[in-house]
Amino acid sequence: MQLDEPTIRERLNDFITHASGGKSVRAVRFERMSGGAVQENWALDVELEGTVRNWVLRTDAPAAVRESLTRDHEFAVLRAMQEARVLAPRPLYLCDDATITGRRFFIMEWLPGVAAGHRVTRERALVPDPARLARELAANLAKLHNIRPPRPALAFLDTMHAQENIAHYRRYLDSHPEAHPVLEWGLRWCEIHAPAIEETTFIHRDYRTGNYLVHEGRLAGVLDWEFAAFGNPLEDVGWLCSRCWRFARPDLVVGGIATLEDFLPEYEHRSGRQVTADDLRYWQVMAHVRWAVIALQQAQRHLSGTEPSLELALTGHILGDLELEILNLTTGT
Amino acid sequence: MRNQPDARELLGIARETFIARILPALPEDLRYTALMVANAMVIARREIEAGEESAQSELTRLRGLFGESAHDVHGFDLHSALADRNRRLARDIRAGRYESDNSAVLAHLRRTVEEKLAVSNPKGLSGK
Repeated sequence: MQLDEPTIRERLNDFITHASGGKSVRAVRFERMSGGAVQENWALDVELEGTVRNWVLRTDAPAAVRESLTRDHEFAVLRAMQEARVLAPRPLYLCDDATITGRRFFIMEWLPGVAAGHRVTRERALVPDPARLARELAANLAKLHNIRPPRPALAFLDTMHAQENIAHYRRYLDSHPEAHPVLEWGLRWCEIHAPAIEETTFIHRDYRTGNYLVHEGRLAGVLDWEFAAFGNPLEDVGWLCSRCWRFARPDLVVGGIATLEDFLPEYEHRSGRQVTADDLRYWQVMAHVRWAVIALQQAQRHLSGTEPSLELALTGHILGDLELEILNLTTGT
Repeated sequence: MRNQPDARELLGIARETFIARILPALPEDLRYTALMVANAMVIARREIEAGEESAQSELTRLRGLFGESAHDVHGFDLHSALADRNRRLARDIRAGRYESDNSAVLAHLRRTVEEKLAVSNPKGLSGK
């Protein structure tokens, strides 16, 4: 079923009219946005009482990934971010009724800016002051790491520390038709070097270049909250600073846009937390293992025939790069 | 006997033509997809060029690690022999069997990754 069928559009109009309490509501644009292998995003411009509002409708893709949050949970996460003044799209309306479009969805405010990693890391004009953007990313990350359990509104979130991560990835590898000795090596290394004590905060788990919007050189908002959990905040720091998320600039540690010196002092200052070189390396290794496991899952989605896709198929071929980095990080090369 | 040019040749010229003639005529929103198509074609071509050689040397190294004697296997047997040894290696690593003496296993893992990258993304070999 396509979301832009006339009957669906009509039902959608009714839903928005009802949810917004508006009298005259009319969708003037409804188009699938690019990106999002897991979720579908639709640009939705609505004329509400004479003013055009730019919204985004976010729904599950036909083959949803088991591990990601459902739309109602993601909506609750966005609400929590709103309350904590974390830069993220403002959630507007949640639709739990699958009969309206065939899938559950929510509507959020559209934010201006560019997210695409290959552009943000390549086009100087988009990020004229990279150190400032790095500080904004640091301050925003520290802010979301300030949210700690228990939080009744976020009680559905999993708690993932180092050992839970390791066990989780091993379980996946055990279910995979092939063995992956390099990933096993990385996981064993993570097991041996696991931190003895870990903090527990809200974590984004996909906080990286490609998932935040840069508008007029500034951080406009962070997207893709579907992997959020409670866990070690340093996991987010390692993920953002991993080589696999540097796109055109592998030499720039922080998401291919800035140096560690641009980012870390601000994060440490705002969070009150110290991040050692060993902490960083530990969570960079974990980041590459995690991305490798996700890449295997993506390739499997294609291979199993459930979702034939060139993009998913090619993801299986980034494994070598991730494995090489795991070996480099764990052997001090 | 198959007709010439072979699969490797065909993929090569098909990709060249695609990049020279079709890619420039595509609208911007199809460019990323088109580049993925070109990338898939070059990976397939490199895989054909690599042949069985890297799988053979991977198996030889694994047998060396496990103290097994070498003998020639090909095709399906090669791949099931490899899958079998890799399962054993994965189990051993997880069980912590390479904590103190790991130079041989690390050399093997690195070589195997490099051979994979030679097909998937040779540029990844040069970058550090």
